[in-house]
This record gives sequence, C-alpha cells and structure tokens, in this order.
Amino acid sequence: MGTPRRWIFALVGLAAVAALVLKPGLPASVTQDTRSVYDLIESLDSGAVVMISFDHEASSLPEVGPLGAAIVDHCFRRGIGIIGLALFSEGTAAGYELLGRRASVFGRSYGSGWIYLGFRPQYTSAILGMGENIGDVFNLDYEGHAVTATALGSRVHSYNDIALVVSVADGSMPTYWVEYAQARYQVKIVAALTSVMVTSYLPYYESKQLAGIVAGLRGAAEYEQLLGHPAAGCRGMDAQSAIHALIAILIIAGNVQGWRIRRSRGHGEA
Amino acid sequence: MTFIETTTTALLTLAIYSFLAGDNPFYKFAEHLLVGLTIGYTLVVTLKSVIWPQAILPVTQGQFQAIGPLLLGGLILLRPFRRWAGWSRISLALVVGGGAGVAIPAMLKARVLDQMAATVTGATTWGGWIILIGVLATLTYFVFTRAHRGAWGTSARLGRYFMMVFFGATFAYTVMSRVALLIGRLEFLMGDWLGLLRT
Repeated sequence: MGTPRRWIFALVGLAAVAALVLKPGLPASVTQDTRSVYDLIESLDSGAVVMISFDHEASSLPEVGPLGAAIVDHCFRRGIGIIGLALFSEGTAAGYELLGRRASVFGRSYGSGWIYLGFRPQYTSAILGMGENIGDVFNLDYEGHAVTATALGSRVHSYNDIALVVSVADGSMPTYWVEYAQARYQVKIVAALTSVMVTSYLPYYESKQLAGIVAGLRGAAEYEQLLGHPAAGCRGMDAQSAIHALIAILIIAGNVQGWRIRRSRGHGEA
Repeated sequence: MTFIETTTTALLTLAIYSFLAGDNPFYKFAEHLLVGLTIGYTLVVTLKSVIWPQAILPVTQGQFQAIGPLLLGGLILLRPFRRWAGWSRISLALVVGGGAGVAIPAMLKARVLDQMAATVTGATTWGGWIILIGVLATLTYFVFTRAHRGAWGTSARLGRYFMMVFFGATFAYTVMSRVALLIGRLEFLMGDWLGLLRT
C-alpha cells in the first residue's frame, strides 16, 4: 500500500472528526422519497399495526439503526402498534433492543404496544406463511409467550390485518417481500435501506411495487427533520457532507493530475 | 454499556481499522473473533427461536407433526458420511424442487412482468419516456447476435451511456454507505468511548 493512499485515509478521517467536533450545521433538504414514506405512516389510523422486519447484519447498524429508530419513533408517536421480527439472524437482537429502547421512551408496553416475534430462517416460507397465518409461522414470540396470547398478537391473523410492512434491510430481502408478500397478498411494503442498495430498489419504487423507499444516514436525517427531533442521522450528516466534498475534490485533483501526466507523455513522445 | 464493554468494543474497532496500515495480528484477531461470534450467535438464535419452539417443544407436548420435518432435516446432516450421504438427496430434492416451484413464478411476476408493465404504462411523463428509452437502448446493447452498426449501434451506444450513469450512481451510493459506517464508528469512539462529542 503506497503512502498517498494512507494520506487519503488520514484526510478522510480528519474531515470526519473535524465535522463531528465542530458541527457546522450544514443545511439539508428533505427529498420527496422520504416525505412519501413519512406521509404514508402519517396517513395510517391510530391503532393500526405495522410490521417491521429487521433484515440486516450488525455491521450495517450505523446506517440502518438511525433509520429504523426514526420509523419506530413515528409509529409509536402516532399510537401505531408494531410487530417486529427478523429474517436475518444478526438483526434479531438489534431489532429487539431498538424496539424495547424506543418503546420505553414513548411509554409503550410490550404485548399491547409492540411485540417481537424473533427470527425465522427460510425467508420464502416465512413470508408466504405469514400471509396465511402469522401464528403458524411464529407460535411463540421472542420472549417465549404464545403470540395469540398477547393483546396485539390476538388482533393480527395475517397480512390482512397489517397496514404496512417495513423491511429495514442491507441486502436483497425487500425483493423477497415484494415477490411473496406484495405480489401475492397485496400488502404495502416500504424499504428502509442502506444507501448502497438504493439503485437496486428504485425500479420497484417507480413501478409502485414498493410503497416507499428511505435510505441511509441521509434518509434518517431527513426523517428526523420531518419528526422535528434531530438525532443520530442529523448528527452524522455534517461529517458525511464534509467527506463527500473532500472525495469530490480528490477525484477532480486526481483527474487533473492524470490529464497532465498524459499530456506531458504525449509531448515527450512527440 | 459499561466502561469495560465500551472499551472492549473500541479496541476491537481500532483493531479492525488497523488494517488500513497493513495486515497485522490485531486485525487478524478481531476478524477471526467476528467470524466465530457470528456463527455462534446464529446457532444460538436458531436453536432458541426455531429448533426449540417449532420442533422440540411440540414433540414434547405430544404434537408429532414436527417429526417429519425433523427427520428430513436430520437426513441432510448425513451428507458428510459417504455411506449414508445418498439419503440427504431426498431432503435436498424437496428443498430444491419446492424452492424452484415457489420462486420461479414469483420472480417472473415481480421482476419481469410487473417491471415490464410499469415501464410501458409509465411512459406518460418525461421521466417515464427516459426510462422506456433507457430500457430499450440497454437491451439492444446486450443483443450480441447482430453487429452494433448503424441505428442499432447508436442505440447500443446509448444503452452503454445509460449503464454508465447507473454504475456511477451506484458507486456514489456505495461511497455514501461506507462513509456512513465510518462516521458511525467515529461517533462511537469519540462520543461513547472518549466522551469528546457534545450532544
């Protein structure tokens, strides 16, 4: 590894640290994509039930954690019940911890305000099975109670009783939610994604197979602005903007340097 | 988190980032720890959330319908034993056959038919027309049985430009995603661990 590459790493680190410490408070607008997800949840009746699936690995938490928290906050604030689950084993504890933490802030109790179903492998059969009977796929919740014995679980039999499914994901799981839940059972799906997945899912959003997309730290920051409660997403956006500006400058400088080298070689050959 | 937990997490984060200076024993240790923990965690979660409530518990309560799937699952575990490995094919055949039967129609509908319908019917706005032209031009690029000359070649070249835009946007989003992960770790190191960030 050459020294210039290490200098670039150091510069990126310095830019992030400086932005985190100085907090310049750079302006950020809210995109229509994020606003449409916010409006969708805002349009749900108080008392509706939203299913949130934590389909991500632990390594994606810095990105999808603030995003999931913002959506969970919105649901709890509006009195919407949340059924949590995970189709990725690594998302299991992260989802349970997030829901428990935010529920305590909003005074929502386990059983009536939210329940957590836990993890199921074989996402295909899990997603299809819940379209017929959620209790058949998850007979016990994550805490070991019978799902139908909880106040929220007794109200929900299948996707017919679910107003919206939110897949908090860092991979291809929202595709399977579209294929097996939306296409077959016509349930609305929202994808809360890492930024790297956005271009893969925009076609599904444009075709209305996905009801909404909200993505990355920027999506979290936008959602927090709509909620009027800046949190982890907004905190990271200054650093994100600073690093992006630095990378753009480095790309331009690298291209100018490359053009100069090619030009001088051309002159030399002539 | 307690101070010990925070410090352990911080040191492991630093061990992973030490790879930027070159491969070293601290990075190797953290990497192997991550792999081992991930496998162990998945095993425990699967036992707690699936094997116990869906297989063992029903059988102990006299509900014997779980025995069939348990037996089929057990057959797959015979795969490492050469003498008995053939029995695992029964379970694998069921998984592959059932999986393909479920997946093919669903994928065809969601990924091809619905996408095609939306592309055609969506061509009522400027954006919709750009998408339709982009799809057709990109498809012509992938027709290799006809020479890319004349109007066909122009369309294929246009398709290549559309793909370049897609790759550029995807790469930019990838940078954005990785930067977000770095910011998350720096916030943890400077805020939760060292207490240098004001909230």
